[in-house]
Amino acid sequence: MNSRRLDVLAAGMLVILLLTSLHMISAAVQRSEELGRWFIPLLLFTVVGLVLLFVLVGWNLWQLLRDYRRRVAGSRLSARLSVLFLVLALVPVSVVYFYSTRFLSSGIDSWFDLQVDSAMEDALMLSKASLDLHKRERLKLSESMLDSIEDTSQTAIALAANELRSSSGASEITLFSLQGSVLALSNANPDVLLPTPPESGTVQQVVAGDNYVGMTTAQDGRLLVRCLVLDKRQRGIILQALYPVPQSLGDLSQKVQRAYELYRTRAYMRSQIKFSFALSLALVLMLSVFAAAWAAVYTARRLVQPISDIAEATRAVAEGDYDKQLPTPRVEDELGFLVSSFNAMTRRIAGARNALEDSRRALQNQHNYLETVLGGLSTGVMALDAESRVTTANRAADQILGMAMDELQGQPLSALGEHHESLRPFVDWIVDGLARHAREGRAEITLYRGGGRQILLCRHSPLEAEKGIATGSLLVFDDVTELVRAQRDAAWGEVARRLAHEIKNPLTPIQLSAERLRHKYLGKMAPEDGRVLDRATHTIVQQVEAMKAMVNDFSDYAKPSKLQLEPLRVDDFLSEVAELYEGGSQQLVMQLDAPGLTVEADPVRLRQVLHNLLKNALEAGGENGRILVNSRAGEEENNIFVEIAVSDNGPGFDPELIAQVFEPYVTSKTKGTGLGLAIVKRIVAEHGGVVHAENLPEGGGRVVLRLPAMAQTVGAAVKAGG
Amino acid sequence: MSRITSIIAVVALLVLSPALFADEVEFRRVGLTLSEGGLILLDADISYELNATVAEALENGVPLTFETHLQMRRADAWIWESDIVDRRLRTVLLYRPLSGMYELRNLQGDEHLSFATRAAALRTLGKIVAMPVIERSSLNVDEDYLVRLDVSLDIESLPLPMRPGAYLDRDWWVSSEPWEWRLRP
Repeated sequence: MNSRRLDVLAAGMLVILLLTSLHMISAAVQRSEELGRWFIPLLLFTVVGLVLLFVLVGWNLWQLLRDYRRRVAGSRLSARLSVLFLVLALVPVSVVYFYSTRFLSSGIDSWFDLQVDSAMEDALMLSKASLDLHKRERLKLSESMLDSIEDTSQTAIALAANELRSSSGASEITLFSLQGSVLALSNANPDVLLPTPPESGTVQQVVAGDNYVGMTTAQDGRLLVRCLVLDKRQRGIILQALYPVPQSLGDLSQKVQRAYELYRTRAYMRSQIKFSFALSLALVLMLSVFAAAWAAVYTARRLVQPISDIAEATRAVAEGDYDKQLPTPRVEDELGFLVSSFNAMTRRIAGARNALEDSRRALQNQHNYLETVLGGLSTGVMALDAESRVTTANRAADQILGMAMDELQGQPLSALGEHHESLRPFVDWIVDGLARHAREGRAEITLYRGGGRQILLCRHSPLEAEKGIATGSLLVFDDVTELVRAQRDAAWGEVARRLAHEIKNPLTPIQLSAERLRHKYLGKMAPEDGRVLDRATHTIVQQVEAMKAMVNDFSDYAKPSKLQLEPLRVDDFLSEVAELYEGGSQQLVMQLDAPGLTVEADPVRLRQVLHNLLKNALEAGGENGRILVNSRAGEEENNIFVEIAVSDNGPGFDPELIAQVFEPYVTSKTKGTGLGLAIVKRIVAEHGGVVHAENLPEGGGRVVLRLPAMAQTVGAAVKAGG
Repeated sequence: MSRITSIIAVVALLVLSPALFADEVEFRRVGLTLSEGGLILLDADISYELNATVAEALENGVPLTFETHLQMRRADAWIWESDIVDRRLRTVLLYRPLSGMYELRNLQGDEHLSFATRAAALRTLGKIVAMPVIERSSLNVDEDYLVRLDVSLDIESLPLPMRPGAYLDRDWWVSSEPWEWRLRP
């Protein structure tokens, strides 16, 4: 059983109990003797019950007010309906109460009329007068009876008493002495042995000479006339006689007395009677009002409940709770239909929402898939909207452009060019292409970045949401710097190999022929011609030697590697190579800081690398050159490497060429093949290392190469290093 | 006889200090005596004085019921122990307009007494003579007993319309201070 039904049951029981109690009070007021004793307890019970009902009503009204203030759904309608019901109930009840009290009051007043008052008084007076007449007669009779007693002896008095009683019709005659002792008693009932005692005071009155006559009531309720008379003959005797009032007179008098008493008592209680009726009516009124108030609030709430539920549920639906279902009312009315329709509507909305959620999830999965694919690409991908604002860029785009593209999201692409000057050619090409409304474009763009030259292979194409309607552009770009470089290196290798093959072969016959010419004809010729021949052949041989050296260089560059790898202690190896350069005019400083660290390398090739670097440094430094060779151990991403740097105090690298110094035929020197650093790079690459050139802030250039250290030496190296 | 003396010595005949009791009903004298037959008897002289409200109701024919309540219980009795003696004397005082007399009706014995004056009726109402309380033999001589006497006007016996008003009106709360004493038989 739910709490609401329990409330109704409790309130109903209370009202029924109160009605029963009021009915019993009404019965008690109507002089029901057995209920009279319960009047006050019933009254108290009713008052307590009404207080309870009042509390119940107050609680309900307070709840209604609280809901109204909190703007709970349906509370306003409930409040309006409650007030309406209450007014509808209160007005008739109040009218009935008002007129009932008025009719009651005037009705009770009409019982007590002045004429009736006076008639009652008159009737009583008449009865009294009639009785007084009777009393006087009896007094006279008593006086004459006492006077008639002649003999006052004990026996004679007793006899006289009996005689007088029977002759006078008295019920009792008693003779007293003045001191109060009984002289004689005669009673109609022979069993009565004691006289009815005279009231205190009356005897004194009689002794004082004033005979007494009065009314008294017998044990059976009959009226009696009591007379006390003093003996006129001064014999010291008092006679008390009790006469029954004649039946007719007695009955009439009793009737008059009862009616008078009743009227008098009622007249006296007039205000109390009015109060009792008014109280009963007020209790009925309060019961009606409280019950009506409670019923009004309850009915209003009950009526409004489905509407409140719908309002509440509508709010919930508006807030996104589409699973809201309302309890269907048991009564199949318009409200029930409304609730059923609402439930059907929310079910359909929930279904649509679920379908939408599913498709959204599928879309999200697709998005995640695409993002993963894009993230995994080494190609940079960037999407622009119709206003050329960056909307999406993958990780590869960040890496290729060397910046976080997320920061540019939502900004026009031109901002990229403004913030990063080196990217301007890239940005300009795209912006131009889009400005020309070119549907697609492809280009190779070279950028000059801090790390050197960067070649990007770019392509842009429109993004189409629907066929023919472009909503933006898609940019795809690859960093092909390494690819281009590798292609160039391969081409140079091929050139070198062909040169070596095609040029080196005829050089030896040329040289031999020139030497043979000189040998054969120098002695036979005139001195003047001999000098010419000597100089010419010498030049030929010298130039052929030079060409041979050049071709050997090319050969070395083009020769496929056949490395004879062995462990080399880097510091020892560097010291050994440096010894060859000691004693020159230039200063060679060694700073070796990789003790015990070993690399796996071909000593011949590595020595060639060092020779090339030292030779370049010596040439750059000139006569007063100062060359610094240092080594150190380093760690990057858990890999230990050895770094060897050769620095000079010469003019440094040409800033424009610094990115290309390791390419063949890139040189700032007047002599040389331009292959020295290209060979260095090739050998270092063959050993799994990297090399780069840089200019020192204080002037001079430096070439740094890194070679991977052997695993077993790593611990020692790190320990030694630091 | 010595026993009687002892009872009288315990109970005594006390003249009560008026300050201790309500003005309208006072115990002037209360006493317990032992009859020759071994019966403990109560004698009391109670003074009644009616205030104007009550007197007016009496003069207008409203019967007044006075109740004299006598209780006796063991001095160290538990609260739920029933009284050894629990006796109520109910007497109605009413005015007869025809005869101009005041009437006393003893509701137990159905006795009628008429009085020419209200004072005489109230005097008689206040006289309790040799009212049997209990057989002495039924009491434990080693035990103390508490005897309690109080007198009041019974509002519940008033005509019904008057009751709610009487309950709310102090004039109708006519009663004596309870008279209590300890008795060792």
